[in-house]
Amino acid sequence: MPKVLIVDDTAFMRKLLKNILFGAGFDIAGEAENGNQAVEMYKELNPDVVTMDIVMPDMNGIDALKQIKSFDKGAKVVMCTAIGQEKIVKTAIKLGAKGYIIKPFQAPKVLEEIKKVTGA
Amino acid sequence: MNGKVHLQTPAKLYDGKWVDAELIVTEQILCIGNTKIQVNEIEDIGNVEVEGVEAIRIKNDGEIIIKPPENLMQQVFRFLAFNLKADRFAVYYLDSATVGGVVSSGTQWEKGYFSVTDEGFWFISPKKQQKMLFDSLGTVVKDVRNVGGKQRKVLVLSKVENGQVATSLLMCPETTLEMLENYLNRLIETHKPGIEFTDMEKQILTLVYSGLDFVSIENMIGISTDELNEYYDRLVDSGLAKVVKIRKEVELTPRGVTMVGDIPNL
Repeated sequence: MPKVLIVDDTAFMRKLLKNILFGAGFDIAGEAENGNQAVEMYKELNPDVVTMDIVMPDMNGIDALKQIKSFDKGAKVVMCTAIGQEKIVKTAIKLGAKGYIIKPFQAPKVLEEIKKVTGA
Repeated sequence: MNGKVHLQTPAKLYDGKWVDAELIVTEQILCIGNTKIQVNEIEDIGNVEVEGVEAIRIKNDGEIIIKPPENLMQQVFRFLAFNLKADRFAVYYLDSATVGGVVSSGTQWEKGYFSVTDEGFWFISPKKQQKMLFDSLGTVVKDVRNVGGKQRKVLVLSKVENGQVATSLLMCPETTLEMLENYLNRLIETHKPGIEFTDMEKQILTLVYSGLDFVSIENMIGISTDELNEYYDRLVDSGLAKVVKIRKEVELTPRGVTMVGDIPNL
């Protein structure tokens, strides 16, 4: 099954995503709590897909997406953010994000989106 | 009968039991059996199932439940929705822009009317008569979105549909938009449960919404079954959740223990 890198600054959200994805048979490549960590871990772990929170300290998800895409044009990144920030969708999609999930999310929808992106 | 008759047909009226009655719908009046209602005095309508029969609930001074013939149900419903007593605004509406946290593809802006009744609001167009109850409305916020290549102010409505949070967008002249935002937010406030939640309760609420089962939530949060049961009770008591399953803990009787002992190679 595809390997997923989960990026979110709150441990609760990482745990929730991990639970949903692991429960559906995805491998969890790793967890990062900010953009800097996400970029480093992406280079090291080469995951099949990244779930990327947008609002994070140190480096936000949009900047992390830019850096990951400049390192690997084919990177599959699904952006993840809260209600009310959907206008960032356009920026993220322009930068090459493959999908977009808005919190709060429900397990079947998240899985549907990740499977669509990974082709799993 | 005053006004042009739109429809005259045998139908059913629920009065403790289903009875046959003639339904007549004119420009101004809906008449079924001996009951007459001014169409523009109807406060709200809804779909309802009574004794296994799909019907239309009409809220006026009281309530009446009617069942037009199957092939005319949609037509009657649409007529009533278009004509009921409500503040009405011409709007553009994008239904379910996101569902369950995922951005929908293929949804399109529709032109129609936004009507506010005392139970909720309606979007009404020739294709769609959609009712959203205030209880299922989460937030109403203004935002700027790209619509047809232009940056436009829209209202973002988050609401619950089939157990999932969906957001829809509404666009209309700015003065109407401001007024609707204030009005809907005031109504939402009056329908909100007056409860303050702890962080733990908020997390549990989120996990239940996300679709995690009891055991997963217990493990994730790191609390005992009894503690989680207490949190669930509070959610149920506050009307935010309902019980769908009660788990049973059992222990084996001596006969059960013997039976296990007799199972050779499991």
